[in-house]
Amino acid sequence: MRAVRFHGRGGQGAKTASRILGTAAFLEGFVAQDSPMYGPERRGAPVAAFTRIAQTPIRERGVIVHPDLVVIADASLMQDPAAHVPEGVDERTVVFVNSPLTAEQLQSQTSLPGRFTTLDLTGIALQQLGKRTAISALLGAVAGSLIGLGQESIREAIARELAELGLAAPMIERNQTVAAQCYETVPRVAIDVGLRRPTAPVPLRTPTYDPPTRGAASITAGPNSAIRSMAGWRTFRPVLRPDLCNGCWLCFANCPEGAITIKPDGKPAIYYPHCKGCLDCVEVCPTDALTVERETAATREA
Amino acid sequence: MNADMMTGNLAAAWGARLADVDYVPAFPITPQTEIVEALSVWCGNGSLNARFVTLDSEHSMMTAAGAAAATGARVFTATSSQGLLHAFEVLYTIAGWRVPLVLVNVSRALASPITLEPDHNDVLAARDSGFLQIHAETCQEVVDSILMAYRIAEDPRVCLPVMVNLDGFYLSFTREPVSLPDPKMVQAFLPPFRPTHLGFKASAPHALGTAVFGGATYSYFRHQIHLASMNALQVHEEASVEFERLCGRRYDVVEGYRLDDAEDVLIMTNAFASKGKGAVDAARAEGRRVGLLRLRMIRPWPADAIRQALQGRRAVAVLDQNLSPGQGGILFQEVAACLYHEALRPRALCSFIGGLGGKNISEGEFRAIFEQTAEAGINGQGIGPILLYTEAEHREMVQLQVLAGGLKS
Amino acid sequence: MTWQRETFKKIKQIPREEHVLPGTALCAGCGGLEALRLAAKVLGDDVVYVNAAGCFTMLAAYPFTPFKGSWLYTTMGSAPAGAQGVRDALDVLIAKGRLSKEEDLKVVVLGGDGSTYDMALSSTSGAITRKLDFYYFCYDNEAYGNTGMQLSPATPYGARTTTSPCSLQHPSGTTQEKKDIFEIWRAHKPPYIATVAPRYPLDLEEKFARASKFTGPKLFLALSACPTGWLYDPGETPEVAKLAVETGLWPLKEAINGVITHTYIPKRKPVEEYLKLQGRFRHLFEPTRQDEAIRHIQARVDDYWKQVNV
Repeated sequence: MRAVRFHGRGGQGAKTASRILGTAAFLEGFVAQDSPMYGPERRGAPVAAFTRIAQTPIRERGVIVHPDLVVIADASLMQDPAAHVPEGVDERTVVFVNSPLTAEQLQSQTSLPGRFTTLDLTGIALQQLGKRTAISALLGAVAGSLIGLGQESIREAIARELAELGLAAPMIERNQTVAAQCYETVPRVAIDVGLRRPTAPVPLRTPTYDPPTRGAASITAGPNSAIRSMAGWRTFRPVLRPDLCNGCWLCFANCPEGAITIKPDGKPAIYYPHCKGCLDCVEVCPTDALTVERETAATREA
Repeated sequence: MNADMMTGNLAAAWGARLADVDYVPAFPITPQTEIVEALSVWCGNGSLNARFVTLDSEHSMMTAAGAAAATGARVFTATSSQGLLHAFEVLYTIAGWRVPLVLVNVSRALASPITLEPDHNDVLAARDSGFLQIHAETCQEVVDSILMAYRIAEDPRVCLPVMVNLDGFYLSFTREPVSLPDPKMVQAFLPPFRPTHLGFKASAPHALGTAVFGGATYSYFRHQIHLASMNALQVHEEASVEFERLCGRRYDVVEGYRLDDAEDVLIMTNAFASKGKGAVDAARAEGRRVGLLRLRMIRPWPADAIRQALQGRRAVAVLDQNLSPGQGGILFQEVAACLYHEALRPRALCSFIGGLGGKNISEGEFRAIFEQTAEAGINGQGIGPILLYTEAEHREMVQLQVLAGGLKS
Repeated sequence: MTWQRETFKKIKQIPREEHVLPGTALCAGCGGLEALRLAAKVLGDDVVYVNAAGCFTMLAAYPFTPFKGSWLYTTMGSAPAGAQGVRDALDVLIAKGRLSKEEDLKVVVLGGDGSTYDMALSSTSGAITRKLDFYYFCYDNEAYGNTGMQLSPATPYGARTTTSPCSLQHPSGTTQEKKDIFEIWRAHKPPYIATVAPRYPLDLEEKFARASKFTGPKLFLALSACPTGWLYDPGETPEVAKLAVETGLWPLKEAINGVITHTYIPKRKPVEEYLKLQGRFRHLFEPTRQDEAIRHIQARVDDYWKQVNV
């Protein structure tokens, strides 16, 4: 069995990618299984999806704990503890990252084990498919290429899955073309099908009674949501040019998150850890003091 | 303390009044309505210092009840049957909030077909909600159980809502002597409700009933409800001792009736247990060594007490006043499960389904139960589920079918 | 007579302090969250939010809450009854001296349109009839959003949802007309009802300030422009909300003891401008333009404003 785990952010197409891979495997006569796993979050939040491919019935369900291939749609997920990217990744796991960096560059920046391969899918998508689009077809094609599925079945699977989402025929065709290009160009790393290490029984714990202050789902430490960073949600970030700002406060008034504060001098300031990158502030700014920049790993940490 | 004639419903209302509750959200349903009618009068004339509010449904009523308890008020409410089921999701919800309120359920069989008289499919449907359940046999036990219920619910080791069950008609509208505990005694028994883990107020903001994500977190919280419920066995025992000291009446999680030398034991709950006791007396008079075990506490399940009462018996019959279609009697399963590991377990377990929709259980039917149970014990082979439904009743049924369907063959 | 804002005249009067903090799981660009954030600036912190199942249920997700005030999640169909229980208990405890008056809280129901327009209607109607002193904040994104955008009674004519797809039978999406919850509320004669929209912060703040003077049910219907469900880019939330108002589709109004005042009179751009921005209406424009459906939507707006008579 081959187990492929996709990590993305809501809206990027990780789930559809897992389906493209599943359908392509199915079309080639394999036994396939694909499923998504969502957290509570929506657009921008980490999601994972799973595809299993085998020649015999698959006796597994749900989360893939020991992936052969991990496909990461967004490099920022590697730093996001909520995404659980490192789970089950070891030296033999192939890790694909959607990144403009090379595998070597990426490997040197992360403690994640695994054998890396990269391709700048976002760059390709921006260039060839237009703005801020989902990259499901490209992720699916890359995964198919790395796992060893044929290009024709990937092409057909893209058509089926994107049609299912209601995409128009010309857009599907464009996706197929770009996906084929990604299929060809992604640097291949052979999947290692070594034997799975045996699993030891885990110690079970029977919790004891806690008083309901702890034993019920109540929160007394609020407001505490602000300790979470939303930086990983952003694909783009708003950037304020103070010289152009007229201090009208519209950005402050229209930020759904409250990520824009007003400084003592009456001018706004963006607190990036709280910014989800919706860019509503850019939309309402009357003086073009707010501009949009594409987020990179470096800017996200800043 | 002078006893007075009163219905089970009025006894339930008195339970709330003596517990000095703060809040009574209400919604009428037969055969419960008399309880909230009485409380509305008392709240109106000041004999009970509580706010009485009629909600738009039982679903809303239970939500208001839970929310008020979560705010720090002592809350009483009552319902029955369809009403309980209408509030069903709220039962689980507020058990998760860990609010110690008391809900009286007046048992009534469930539609469809719709009917008014009791059986226990309503209350037992709620057995997995997290509510504790106490099932009463007499009007006296209703009022006493409500007082005990508040004490148990509000104990920091429990913090769960409690359902006190009484049978529609057979208790709800039936008068018998009830001795009301002295209010001073109740004060000694039931300290004022001052929860530390609940209470919305400006100085202590908190979030309750929040969403959780991930099965492990959910598992932990749901299991805590189980642990809290299990703690109630010990807390009930303590409350029982204290109640007896103050009031002279003793209630255990199960009640044995003429069990000492009994070969065969009949298990029952609620009001019909009185009939069961009568049947035991009659059978004893004929020389049968039989006894009755009445299950009073259904949640937490008093497994040890049941095992202890049943070990070494020849045969045990469980008379379920409920029916789980496709399975049989609900309590039969639970009794059977807790006897499995008992080395001296009875030789035969028998399952009878009786009193559905309030159907009477005649002396003759009890005799049939004892005979068949004895035989099963001798054979070492359990029987059932067997429906208590007589030939005579069936002849009447056929007549009704003829009237309903015309004279078709 | 034109409506005058008395408390909030300038944008710089919007309080700087935040009461619903960042770090929640709600979508980027959520119009409902924006409206709630602004509302909370007037409501303050002495609040208990009583929530019905919906997108906002994700706000307080263990172990995090964004609220400086309190929170109680109830069920989808009974948040107003939860508000009843909390309000009554606070009253009783204060009356009995077990809680000081300083500890009192405002009780605020947070419900989505799915809960508000249908499932919790019985519970809401009961609460209003009982003259419950509470706020009801409905974030209306015109579909069951938390389950992935299915048709709700708040879905407007012509919108495509996952359960009102474009079909041969209904090429223009749903043919249902959005239920008029404002009028249903008004028929109950509560002291205060208002509609609000995120792109109109002063109008919103002013209404919450005005509502605070009334005891009894105070109901707010907040247009919750929804990038995820309405299928537009999150950065366009302000524009979508603005066009909803400027086309006249989302009238900004209040009703004090039943008397309606429109708090903003739009010049009424063609509805097309609003519809065109959103994927849920795209089928009205491509592959072929559905003139009849667009005209129908425009006519409904025109009829509305004709009877408003401004």
